[in-house]
Amino acid sequence: MSDHQEHHDDGHHVNYFKIYIILLVLLVISVVGPIVADVIREVTGVAWVATLLTLVTAFGIAVYKAKLVIENFMHLKWEKRIMKWMLTTSLLLMALMFAGISPDVMNHEGNNWRNVAAEAAVARGIDSGEEEVVEEDTAPAVEVAFDVESMFNIVCATCHGSEGLGDGPAGAALDPRPASFADPEFWETRDRDRIVQVITNGAASVGGSPLMVAWSASFDEGQIQEFADYVQTFRPN
Amino acid sequence: MAFPKPQATLRSATGIPTGRLAVWWLLASEVVIFGGVLGSYLMHRLGHPEWADAAIHTNTWIGATNTFVLLTSSFTAVLAHQAAERGDGKTAAKFLLFTIGGAFTFLGIKSYEWWYEISHGYTITSNGFWAFYYTAAGLHALHVIAGAIIMGIVAFDAWRNLELQRVELIGIYWHFVDVVWIFLFPLLYIAK
Repeated sequence: MSDHQEHHDDGHHVNYFKIYIILLVLLVISVVGPIVADVIREVTGVAWVATLLTLVTAFGIAVYKAKLVIENFMHLKWEKRIMKWMLTTSLLLMALMFAGISPDVMNHEGNNWRNVAAEAAVARGIDSGEEEVVEEDTAPAVEVAFDVESMFNIVCATCHGSEGLGDGPAGAALDPRPASFADPEFWETRDRDRIVQVITNGAASVGGSPLMVAWSASFDEGQIQEFADYVQTFRPN
Repeated sequence: MAFPKPQATLRSATGIPTGRLAVWWLLASEVVIFGGVLGSYLMHRLGHPEWADAAIHTNTWIGATNTFVLLTSSFTAVLAHQAAERGDGKTAAKFLLFTIGGAFTFLGIKSYEWWYEISHGYTITSNGFWAFYYTAAGLHALHVIAGAIIMGIVAFDAWRNLELQRVELIGIYWHFVDVVWIFLFPLLYIAK
């Protein structure tokens, strides 16, 4: 024991048992709080009180429990200031990451972009309710509540434009540019079968641009037929 | 056998024992690791209202029991430190063994919980919520396993009154593992 370096918490007289009991009481409150909140929500119908109670008892208490452990068990209270700055730096980096990334993750669309996968995941999850999580993951990505026009606007319009003019925001950067379905020349070399073929297997399958990818993994045959019909509505007479 | 002490532990430019400084450095990097996972979870959870349907399937009582186990093991870890400060290596080693018992209890409960969930079809590929659930809790469980192994080594020496300063160092790490769980518990179990 002669090599014991520093008895830095000697004389702090922390009552560890008392801290432990407080932590357990807080644990009970953090479990009971949200249960009480549910009762309040059902009985009174006042949602915001219940939400506030859940937030305070679950997350407010977590912060306070962590503070008790860090200060008293880890002895950060008596540690040199440089240590606190070190940890604060880590927390700031974390906050910076959150601030930088969260707007793009929490929003599913912006001025020039849409997060199609996230929108589809939300639609799929909410439409199918809680039972879907178990076995739903093999189903096609965007099958639920199929409506050809809105699906075209989500999936195709990012490049082809909602009017089919090839002027979608993501299409501007592509080379070659996406085809305009309103261009009479476009239809000189296309028929419905070819449209179905391109949507199903990608344009590269008929010698076109590989940027128009295959969609057969996401949509079934009937849905692709509906897309082909929809694309033809842009055709000039 | 006493585990050899690196030269650097004998000097200190900061006035903080080097071993303790090193543990805090480690924890500063851990804050970013767990902060990254939990921050990403939080932003996705807020952007995906449908995750609430998955979150209702986590078992709050199992989560609360494991919180109790970790809080208790943190308490025994700090008692081990207190004994080491008195120079009582045997008592310190005993309390460390209690703490290791806490680690195994935690892992046992977690194994049951995961077995139950996986056998009911909730796997890491089920959806975004479950992917985060298994990743965050799995990363945390790896830290529990690592802590238990290191505590075993420290207790082995402490029993013979050797390297007692290390009792505090593994304690600081263990409390951090506890703190991470304190945040995982409401995020994964309470917020339904």
